[in-house]
Amino acid sequence: MNTSRVAITGATGYLGSVLSDHFSSRGDEVVALTRRPPERAVSDWRHFELGRPVGGTIFQDVNTVIHAAWALSGKDTSQLWRENVIGSRRLIEAAVTAGVQKVVFVSSMSAYFGTRQTYGLMKLAVERTALDLGCAVVRPGLVYGESPGGMAGTLRKISRLPLWPRFKSAKLFLAHEDDVAQAIARVVEHYDELSGEVMGLANPQSVDLPSILAGLSPEHKRRLSLPVPAVPVMATLRLLEGAGVPFPFRSDSLLGLIESADLLPGQERLVQQGVEFRSLGGAVRD
Amino acid sequence: MDIVIVGSGPSAAASALALERVREATITVLDLGTQLESGRQAALTAMANTSPDRWRAEDLDLVSSVPKANSFGRIPTKQIYGSNFVFENSGQLDDVDADGEANRLVVSGAYGGFSNTWGAQLMPYSTGTFRTWPISRQNLEPHYREILRQIPYSGESDDLEETFPLMGTPDHLPKVTHRTSSVLQRYERRRIAVRRHGVTVGHARLALNGSACRRLGLCMTGCPDQLIYSASQSFDQLRARKRVDYRSGMRVDRIEEDAAGRVSVHATEVSTGQRRAFSADRVLIGAGAIGTTRIVAGSLGLTDRSIMLAESIQFMTPFLSRRPVPELTQDGEFTLNQFNLFVTFDSDGKEAALVHCYPYNDIMLASLPGFLTSGPLSAVTRTGLRRLTVGLGYLPSWASPPVELRIGRAKADDSLPPIQVTSGENEATKPMLNRVIQQLRRCGRALDLYPIPGQTKLSGPAKSYHYGGSFPMQAKPFGEFSSDLLGRVGPWRNVHLVDASVFPTVAATTFTLTIMANAHRIATEALRGS
Repeated sequence: MNTSRVAITGATGYLGSVLSDHFSSRGDEVVALTRRPPERAVSDWRHFELGRPVGGTIFQDVNTVIHAAWALSGKDTSQLWRENVIGSRRLIEAAVTAGVQKVVFVSSMSAYFGTRQTYGLMKLAVERTALDLGCAVVRPGLVYGESPGGMAGTLRKISRLPLWPRFKSAKLFLAHEDDVAQAIARVVEHYDELSGEVMGLANPQSVDLPSILAGLSPEHKRRLSLPVPAVPVMATLRLLEGAGVPFPFRSDSLLGLIESADLLPGQERLVQQGVEFRSLGGAVRD
Repeated sequence: MDIVIVGSGPSAAASALALERVREATITVLDLGTQLESGRQAALTAMANTSPDRWRAEDLDLVSSVPKANSFGRIPTKQIYGSNFVFENSGQLDDVDADGEANRLVVSGAYGGFSNTWGAQLMPYSTGTFRTWPISRQNLEPHYREILRQIPYSGESDDLEETFPLMGTPDHLPKVTHRTSSVLQRYERRRIAVRRHGVTVGHARLALNGSACRRLGLCMTGCPDQLIYSASQSFDQLRARKRVDYRSGMRVDRIEEDAAGRVSVHATEVSTGQRRAFSADRVLIGAGAIGTTRIVAGSLGLTDRSIMLAESIQFMTPFLSRRPVPELTQDGEFTLNQFNLFVTFDSDGKEAALVHCYPYNDIMLASLPGFLTSGPLSAVTRTGLRRLTVGLGYLPSWASPPVELRIGRAKADDSLPPIQVTSGENEATKPMLNRVIQQLRRCGRALDLYPIPGQTKLSGPAKSYHYGGSFPMQAKPFGEFSSDLLGRVGPWRNVHLVDASVFPTVAATTFTLTIMANAHRIATEALRGS
């Protein structure tokens, strides 16, 4: 395996940190492209803020860019679109123009054609640019680990409740953080064969919400779950958001949960490269 | 090396631009070359050098007259500078016939071809379109960029870039109208609600010198400052640089290639009827898809049969808005297409339709019957027009009826075979059109742009002018009606078809830039191989 200089946007976020550690442990030089210097050890840090003009020197001596940064909340949708979609487009274009050999865009399983989710629509818009420019696109499923962030982190908190919600249609593809990091490293290694492709990074068996909560709970044990109608919950969340009431779970996240993708793209290509994802099921006790 | 280019439309111009820097190439262009009448040209010249308040009324009337509609709700054939010279028969329409509603005016003899009257839309094809092509967008990208560098290009950065990258640095568009501005602002605020229905909204991208635009309101009848690109402008420049020998008044009838690969082009000098022959090392035919098909079919004996052409069928769909624009006038505006509604049913822009939206212009008024525009109903009509946007949309060729071209046997040696344009059938057309309108209707509230129920009308066969594919490019050409990646139809080795006749499909999205890029590619690669 040849080592390389890998720049990671969002290297201080949940998945970005996992990737940063993984590539460092392989012996690659990791360049963190973030707003603030990361606390964990990296080879280099360069200032980058998604949605701001991309400096001409941030790709100097970099041969791989993994774009994992994403602004999630706290702003209106137009601003989020400008930061995330336009910002990502400018970043990817700048990387390609600067001669970076490998660009991997970390999308999401929420980004499927037909999604109604804001987050998924934004990721899908960036995917188009990335694919047009010949980059590789990966769509991790729900990423979990010992201390998960993002949606898995929120679900882990919910798993501590005495009674769990159960949405009929909520089924997700899951991926352990280490498997995701290894898969992305494999995509980088086999970039010539995998660029221009969309690859879902997750175990091919989708999992329902009670099983996900059981798998993420500290004791890995099922609790009593109650069927909940999604529509009134969605309406309530939207009302709270409209009134500016802070709430840890957004209506858009709920939409991603109840209207999730039912296909995992690019599986054959990953299997050919020996990429596998462990299942969550083994961790669950009834 | 002697090169002959047939035609002077966009594909011919792009080929010539590609060959311009090849020092050893001697380029002769054979063209019918019909031009705007001298009186209109003189009026234009006078207006271009004068401020609008000093224009002579008779000059303005002469070059801005509006064509009359043949029937209610139908868009009349577009004139330019009050003239029909683009559609005039200079010999190219002899023995061309059409059935029913099919378009007979399918070959232009004008200097610059149909680009004299086009909508000036400039976007590349989506990557998805190339899924069924033997070349990729990546192959074409350097040629797209080169064409966009060489012709006027105005546009803006917006969401359409996701599928249609700008591929260069366009000039800014002139200030858009009140309606366009309102729709774009609403889209900015309600983007997610619109995108959920597979609809993307963005500015028009135009072959227009935007920064020089005086917003004279005359785009649709012909810009007095000639800021809208016509392929004739490229030839004017090439002729001024003495890089092409332009021969007008020539109708090319037949082409033959001998065993040694030397090509003879047989033409008729239309003013005298005399036959002329030109010898060349290579010939590039860019006479427009049907014009080229006719020349090739006659030359190779592919007569007494039908050829199916792929057409991206056009439809007209009017929209109404709840909020009217403050004023009903085209004065002080630019009136070309201003924004586009891109409706897609997949993620890479193949299964898609594109609707070009036009703000008010006087042609809309002229297309209405007299009782609506004068008399007691005129006030009501004007109220309606203040809420009206006209969309000209296109479906992809695989969801459009094909155009059948029946090719007969030439009546005399060295003359073009007769052709008849006929409509084909495609069961996918109405379902796709209904889906497109349904998605647009769902965005009506967000954009304040509601398609008027029951008023969407499909144009007749070959009326979109977005047709081609009689000799589609194939990696391994098979059969008489195919060409290789350099647009060569067997057994020819040094004759290249450079227009849409070699397109494997015709997407719903803008057409001419891809024609030009592909012609540029073919010319570049053909000469590289010489």
